Amino acid sequence: MPIIGKRERVEEVEIPTASMADIAFLLIIFFMTTTVFARDKGLKLVLPEKGQEVKVASKKLIKIAVNPAGEIYFGDELVQPNQIPERVKRKLQEDPKMVVLIRTHENAPYERMIEVLDQVKSVPEAKRISLSIIRAETQGG
Amino acid sequence: MRIKAKRKPKATIPTASMSDIAFLLIIFFMLTTVFRKETGLKVVLPQARMTERIRKSRDIANIYIDKDERISVDDKLVTPEHVKMAFKIKLKENPSVLAQLKADKRVRYGVVNDVLDALRDARAFRIIFATEYPRKG
Repeated sequence: MPIIGKRERVEEVEIPTASMADIAFLLIIFFMTTTVFARDKGLKLVLPEKGQEVKVASKKLIKIAVNPAGEIYFGDELVQPNQIPERVKRKLQEDPKMVVLIRTHENAPYERMIEVLDQVKSVPEAKRISLSIIRAETQGG
Repeated sequence: MRIKAKRKPKATIPTASMSDIAFLLIIFFMLTTVFRKETGLKVVLPQARMTERIRKSRDIANIYIDKDERISVDDKLVTPEHVKMAFKIKLKENPSVLAQLKADKRVRYGVVNDVLDALRDARAFRIIFATEYPRKG
């Protein structure tokens, strides 16, 4: 028992916290510079289930086709992409239950199909959008 | 003009709470950071005006299709058949998985359609076509 009677000198115990903020800010800067905001963005779509295809009467379809050259046909008419929303809107005013069908040829560039999908999506009334493909040989999807 | 003897008040900035603020920020950044799992393929995304931000970054699984029609899932080059298998497994692990299709804008639609078919077979119905906001000007 060595310390009986001996007066202890109480040393002030201190943790130096002055540099704490520096350390923390260093870490922040590290995280800020290494973070790549993975901004996921795109066009959402829900696919139909296989085998659950609903037969839709041809009259109820708004047909938009994209051919291999990237030309867009609304029904049988050749149209410019920016004409699509107006035409779709007009059709949906006649019958709001119509389904927009985008038929793309398999050799058509993906970009054109997205362009059409984008135009159709800009019509808020167009809720039901369907995608389909035109095969090169078999003609019609 | 008479100059009054100014009493100089001691100017101090309280720095004691500085580290608290800093650590709070660190924790925020650590929690919001989603590390990208794969390097993917180099693609030029198509542009679309109706592009939406997708909030649930953690539930997203990417499929890359580059302009040479190679398909990549989890950094492996695969066929549409494998896409189906991969997504069946992914959906089992996390049923709220969202398939994000990062296809190059020059790719033929036929390839995209094959992948879409594979996703339907795997019952991954909720998909996202990755697009960019159109550049202004």
